[in-house]
Amino acid sequence: MEQTPEYVIEMLHITKEFPGIKANDDITLQLKKGEIHALLGENGAGKSTLMSVLFGLYQPEQGEIRKNGKPVKIESPNDATALHIGMVHQHFKLIEVFTVLDNIILGAEDTKMGFLQKKDARAKVKALSEQYGLHVDLDAKVEDITVGMQQRTEILKMLYRDNEILIFDEPTAVLTPQEIEELMQIMKNLAAEGKSILFISHKLNEIMEVSDRVTVLRKGKYVGTIDTASTTKEELSRMMVGRPVQLVVDKDPAQPKEAVLTVEGLTVPSKIHKNDAVKNVSFTAHAGEIVCIAGIDGNGQTEFVHALTGLEKASAGKIELCGRDITHLPIRARSQTGMSHIPEDRHKHGLVLDFTLEQNMVLQRYYEPQFQSHGFIRFGAVRSYAEKLIEQYDVRSGQGPVTVARSMSGGNQQKAIVAREIDRDLPLIVAVQPTRGLDVGAIESVHKQLVAQRDEGKAVLLVSLELDEVMNLSDRILVMYEGEIVGELDPKKTTVEELGLYMAGAKRQGKERESA
Amino acid sequence: MKEKTPLMQRDGTRSVLASLLSILIGLVAGAVVVFLVGLFNKSMSLKTAWEGIQLIFLGIISTGRNAAGELTFGFNPVTFGNMLFRATPLILTGLSVAVAYKTGLFNIGAPGQYLAGTAATLFIALEIPSSVVPAWVIWILAFLGGMAAGALWGAVPGFVKAFLNINEVLACIMTNWIAANLVTWAFDVSNLKNTVENTKTAYIYKTSFNGVQTPKMFLDKIFPGSQINGGILIAIALAILMYIIFTKTTFGYELKACGANRHAAKYAGIKDKRSIILSMAIAGAMSGAAASLYYLAGNTEFFWSTYQSLPATGFNGIPVALLAVCNPIAVIFTGMFMSMLDISGLQLTNLTAYNEYITDVIISVIVYLSAFSLVIKLWLGGKAKKKAGAKPDANAEPAPKADAGKEAGK
Repeated sequence: MEQTPEYVIEMLHITKEFPGIKANDDITLQLKKGEIHALLGENGAGKSTLMSVLFGLYQPEQGEIRKNGKPVKIESPNDATALHIGMVHQHFKLIEVFTVLDNIILGAEDTKMGFLQKKDARAKVKALSEQYGLHVDLDAKVEDITVGMQQRTEILKMLYRDNEILIFDEPTAVLTPQEIEELMQIMKNLAAEGKSILFISHKLNEIMEVSDRVTVLRKGKYVGTIDTASTTKEELSRMMVGRPVQLVVDKDPAQPKEAVLTVEGLTVPSKIHKNDAVKNVSFTAHAGEIVCIAGIDGNGQTEFVHALTGLEKASAGKIELCGRDITHLPIRARSQTGMSHIPEDRHKHGLVLDFTLEQNMVLQRYYEPQFQSHGFIRFGAVRSYAEKLIEQYDVRSGQGPVTVARSMSGGNQQKAIVAREIDRDLPLIVAVQPTRGLDVGAIESVHKQLVAQRDEGKAVLLVSLELDEVMNLSDRILVMYEGEIVGELDPKKTTVEELGLYMAGAKRQGKERESA
Repeated sequence: MKEKTPLMQRDGTRSVLASLLSILIGLVAGAVVVFLVGLFNKSMSLKTAWEGIQLIFLGIISTGRNAAGELTFGFNPVTFGNMLFRATPLILTGLSVAVAYKTGLFNIGAPGQYLAGTAATLFIALEIPSSVVPAWVIWILAFLGGMAAGALWGAVPGFVKAFLNINEVLACIMTNWIAANLVTWAFDVSNLKNTVENTKTAYIYKTSFNGVQTPKMFLDKIFPGSQINGGILIAIALAILMYIIFTKTTFGYELKACGANRHAAKYAGIKDKRSIILSMAIAGAMSGAAASLYYLAGNTEFFWSTYQSLPATGFNGIPVALLAVCNPIAVIFTGMFMSMLDISGLQLTNLTAYNEYITDVIISVIVYLSAFSLVIKLWLGGKAKKKAGAKPDANAEPAPKADAGKEAGK
């Protein structure tokens, strides 16, 4: 018997170019059998491109792929499947109206004279799900199950096809903390059973917890491969970003000055149920402080921000910005009074995806005299402004200002929005999950910018679901639970656990706050 | 990073190529039909079929037959002039569809807006006596009135979409039929019947009865004997105006932003409802102008019988716009091309034993293919990409999307 090669999959010296950019430049990735191998890199470092090459979606200009030591050619996802390579995409590829079982067998169905034979398939899927601890309800429709269960369905899909090499593309981005725990356990089980896993992520905690080895990419180039056991988060982030990264932002104590935003008794009706989504919310945000609204997703934060920025109508209450009552003003007037807004949903609100980057950069300001005269757009001014922001905020894209926003990576889309909103230089910045989907380097830079804005005397209203972000960045925490502010905390005097209790509704401050 | 994209990989180039390919395939298909009809029709010889094919491609420069009975070709001012005259309303309804499409709306309501424009123009041009008001003033009033009526009629589906979120296609189809019935009724109850020509089966409305007609602007000197008038210049001017509005102004930016992503536009403080209504109103005004310029020509007749059907000119705006990839400047040329096909059909009827319905077949094929021109464009893009070794993918690192880039009209 010939000796088993050390690596199941080797990608040697892969180079892949797109117009204007080398997405992968001489990258080598070697995956051992039974290991969890993390692929780490910033937004736009070339991780997804490399995996697309492995999965047959792209053809590299140079380089070789080997399986068990033998060179192979992967020209389409079908070739990849034949080589037992499976992929769980970041956005699941499931048919919503089909059952879990139907989704799993889709494309690999057993038939007898044209009739589906689901019995054997059911038994096989059942056995697999027990073997690996993948709990799914085989007869539930995909549209009715949780995101976590959808992901397990995707994993079962790969296992049902006897895949040996499993690619997970940012699998935790869509999961809740509990679901992430479960996924980590599943991945460990899979590796223990001899499956080899490629795990794409930019979340250092997860990589440290689950992976055996890490390969780091930076700006399309190979930085190195190291054993997870012999490294630290700091070292990994330095490799990824190319310089030491501060995981916690330094900031001086806040020096709040005059009130910028005063909200009194704001109430917003819900679009989903009959109750109010936001109930009688009152607070003040001052110049020179970062006020954070913390809470578990879906406790009225979205509706509150929409009412504040004018996207939705409030049914009661008063909003005062820079001394002006803006409760009934339209969106543009509010923003001109002094409010910039980093929206929660960058694809729905933040960007016109079919516009170019430069057109998006002036989305909030195209009507200002700087960018138009007599109704005609000053293209030169728009271009140079966009170039300035791209340079200053390190927004990376294939073709610079004329890149279509849709073709940019999610992290860079977010950076573009942050750049646009911060650069407006207005007294109030409403930042809703400003670091969603960003890597550590970009998170650091956004956090620094927000702190710098605070120090310049802006009021920052941060709405975040990330506990780390809430604790690190804010000067004052308001916890929102079921549409109400249930507590006001000082991040220096509170703990993550206490914050969690407020967020879960297990604890709330008494009436004295409301009267205050 | 900064170097220019090679011509063949540019988006605009591919759009033009795709449209030209559609046209070519359509013409070839027409030629095949002509050939087959000639082959199986006993009254036609192969020579007739060959002449038919020649006329399909070269009808516009046909000058008739010489003494020997052979087809002759050369500059024909009559057919050229007539082509430009017939292109006028097509360019405008094409613009109507194109500008709506640029703002994310599908204006299938051009026929209704055209009818609204027809009615307003004829009423104004015929009801104001030219003995009291100078004819040129009436002309201006009738033209503006036609545009305004079209705009109003276009604004209705826009309004319904903006406030009730009802799909504009549905609303447009309904307003089309409402317009048809409304116009039938309006002419029925009006006293205009007494002032116009009465045939046995219908009434014929001509604005020249009242001495109102579009000035020739010396075009009749260039194209003597044709129906041409200054309307074509107005249509071209409007196309250029639309191009400027949609590519150069903040107003166009707002309308396009709203069409591409209503939520983001709203977030940026653009009044989304107002933008949708305005987009449709502008589209409607173009269709209204199409009707105005057609009927104000003076030599055209509005033929009113008991029931008014939807005008084909309105629907033909759709292929004109699609062939032009909704670029207002390109609409000028595709509009002329469509009217050229009309002329070829007439030549075919006049000079050979074929009837003009053959050109309807060709137009249908081209309409079909114009819908496919996007597919052809993607196919061209795929070929170019293969050479560059790239493939579009929204998830990928900065790879340009196939239909992204600097489309001239965007």
